[in-house]
Amino acid sequence: MRNREKTAIVIGAGPAGIEAALKIGQAGYQAVLAEREAELGGTLRQLYSSFPRWEDPRDLLDAKIRQLENCPRVSIMKHSTVEASQLHEGGFLVTLRDSRNGTTKDLHVDAVILATGFALMDLSIYGEYGYGIYPEVLNALEFEARLREWSQGSGQAPQGVALIKCVGSRDRSKGNPYCSKICCMYTAKQAGLVKDMFPDAKVYVFYMDYRAAGKEYEEFVRDVIEKKHVRYVRGRPAKVLCENGRLLVRAEDTLVGLPVEVLVDVVVLASAAVPHPGTRKLAEMFGAKTDEYGFLENERFEPVKAADKVFFAGGCGFAVETPLALQQGAAAAAAVIALFNTR
Amino acid sequence: MGPDFYIPMRLNEVDDSLQKEIKENLGVDLEMCLECGKCSGGCSNGQSFDYTPRKIVQLVKFNDEETLLSMDALWICLSCQLCLDRCPSGIDLPRLLDYLRAKAYRKGLRASRPQVQLFYELMLSSVRKIGRVSEFPVILQFNWKTGQYLKDAHLGLTMFLKGKLSFLSPHVKEKEKVRRLFNGSPVESRGNNR
Amino acid sequence: MNCAYYPGCSAHALAREYDRSARLVCQRLGIHLTEVQDWNCCGATAAHSLDHELAVSLCARNLAIINRMSLDRVTTPCAGCFNRLKSVSFELKNAATLKAKIEQAIDAPLDRLPEIVHLLQLLVQDIGPEGLAKHVVKPLRGLKLAAYYGCLITRPHKVVAFDDPEQPSSMDRILEVLGAQTVKWSHKAECCGGGFAASETSIVLDLSGQVLEAARQAGAEAIVVACPMCQANLDTRQEAVEKGRGTRYNLPIVYFTQLLGLAYGYPSGRMGLRRLIVSPLPLLKKKGLI
Repeated sequence: MRNREKTAIVIGAGPAGIEAALKIGQAGYQAVLAEREAELGGTLRQLYSSFPRWEDPRDLLDAKIRQLENCPRVSIMKHSTVEASQLHEGGFLVTLRDSRNGTTKDLHVDAVILATGFALMDLSIYGEYGYGIYPEVLNALEFEARLREWSQGSGQAPQGVALIKCVGSRDRSKGNPYCSKICCMYTAKQAGLVKDMFPDAKVYVFYMDYRAAGKEYEEFVRDVIEKKHVRYVRGRPAKVLCENGRLLVRAEDTLVGLPVEVLVDVVVLASAAVPHPGTRKLAEMFGAKTDEYGFLENERFEPVKAADKVFFAGGCGFAVETPLALQQGAAAAAAVIALFNTR
Repeated sequence: MGPDFYIPMRLNEVDDSLQKEIKENLGVDLEMCLECGKCSGGCSNGQSFDYTPRKIVQLVKFNDEETLLSMDALWICLSCQLCLDRCPSGIDLPRLLDYLRAKAYRKGLRASRPQVQLFYELMLSSVRKIGRVSEFPVILQFNWKTGQYLKDAHLGLTMFLKGKLSFLSPHVKEKEKVRRLFNGSPVESRGNNR
Repeated sequence: MNCAYYPGCSAHALAREYDRSARLVCQRLGIHLTEVQDWNCCGATAAHSLDHELAVSLCARNLAIINRMSLDRVTTPCAGCFNRLKSVSFELKNAATLKAKIEQAIDAPLDRLPEIVHLLQLLVQDIGPEGLAKHVVKPLRGLKLAAYYGCLITRPHKVVAFDDPEQPSSMDRILEVLGAQTVKWSHKAECCGGGFAASETSIVLDLSGQVLEAARQAGAEAIVVACPMCQANLDTRQEAVEKGRGTRYNLPIVYFTQLLGLAYGYPSGRMGLRRLIVSPLPLLKKKGLI
């Protein structure tokens, strides 16, 4: 047993997982970073820009990947999913499956960090917004891709864009009652980017509130409203219709109390953040508790611990923005290091 | 008539009796309202309302029964259910409006749209008498009583020739049983002499 | 298959073609409809707008009659009647004090309540698109149709529990298996103006006008409906809407049962197509369907 180095497996290579694996490796222990996709980065890879400093997320991702490459104790396994796990000699015997050829590999690990991230909710129950009916109604990640297309000069320039917040969040009737935390910020970011690219376009953000609770966050949103001239309309839209081939969004401007409508080319839905599919199954595999939405729950007084020798970080615990995902990854790594140090 | 300088409403002095009444009688908890305006945004007739659906909820919280029982919105709500269906808190606005309208009606208050009230009363008068509604007699009575003798005359003739309007109407056999359901209803006392 | 049938007040004159075509189609499909004995008006919008208990008791009397007929299900072609009966049934199941009061008013027990389905729902759920397709002898090829559900067939979703409230598709599926093409359009479940045709005509002209305009923009040649109120508003007020908007619509408003009957080989006369104000006959002739 002395011959085998203490090893942690980090499942999911978004910012949380990357930071966790990095810190474990830098502390002198072995980390296996298992990622289901062909590339590292998770949701971060899909982003065109970031708040609150408008930085290119690829710069951060590239820097982190370089750090990983310079860390010999971290082994990266792409195309890998966790198929099974059993208790084994004080730790776990985890079976990893390669999605390219179906081959499996067994790993003996002493700790697990779940970092599977979040996904955007399926919006088909919001028929009133026409997602899946009208091609130009997009969810936030699809719009991020559209922003990248526009930045590269392809796709049609919009004359009007409407961004609708709280789709699937703060809804006790259908969807989820909770607030998905990051949408107010990324919506402001997306709205601001449209104005940067197309100064003549009319951009509307339909909101109930805007939640800018973070360092430089409030200033960021005020900039989008005051400097970039994005029009914020307070009212949760009721329906997306169409008129002469364009999209018509109907809402109430609650501040003045009148029904209003806007005619736009693209409607962006800030969809609720839900745990990435597969998280619940993984949690069960490792004896971790999840709440009614499938988010991982921490043990009392142990903020990053989900079960014995099982930790978690990032979006799989609840929606979180990149800087906090990195912090949580480091915290989970610290917990693993503390665990490994005590043996 | 108050003093001739502006006094803001003092919220400590606003009691929540109407809100409580709504909760007890209808099981509708207005505290759940997120004030998001999704109801108003999709209201089929919202642009014609003097108070949008969201504002109506707020008026209940302000205990402003006077406005609520006399507002125009009460009489032009279509009961289309779009507000209830889309509300993220499931607040039964159509039911709330029904309740307020029925309260106003029971109190004998004048409807802001008397012709809407009249039409309802004429329909119900037919139900009370024969257990069913026949459109033609109701529409004729409506036109007569609102002095719009020739309203839709051309349309009416077209429809009549197509057999869509009939003076005859099948009666319910157990008329008395249906009539009895109107006992004690303000529809009987107010709307009966139609 | 047995089912109680609640025609609704408009069946005897205004929507006679709907009632007749519905009965013929059900006959062809082997659905045995028994009219609710001595049924009374459901109260429509008028009753619940002025007196809630009256509205409940008017519907409850019908439900008690269906119980006495030993039938456990009732169907109605009218969206308004359907919504009233279903809402009342839902409320009676969940409010014990009200139930007791109403039982006394109508002098009948309400412990058992029949299942209430709209005719469209009955056909889709019990027969299904494939079952409906079996009887087609004359496919409705070449017709571009806008399926219009109105507001009450699918809402409130928690009470009615049929199809998607905002983007319903059951009628579209039926029309497609009949051979027609359905258009994607924005107003399939928006309100036509309901019962305000006489008392506040401008509301109906506004809302029905929006429905007609949306159907026209989507390229529909006709609008298919499942409610006598919607049919009356979109059909009888179409000329006034055209005048107000300065646009020609020429959109026949046809009941879905009439199209089912046509596809099943019934002659257009029996389907009552001539009774519609905006005549569907030129369109159907052009497509070689009559």
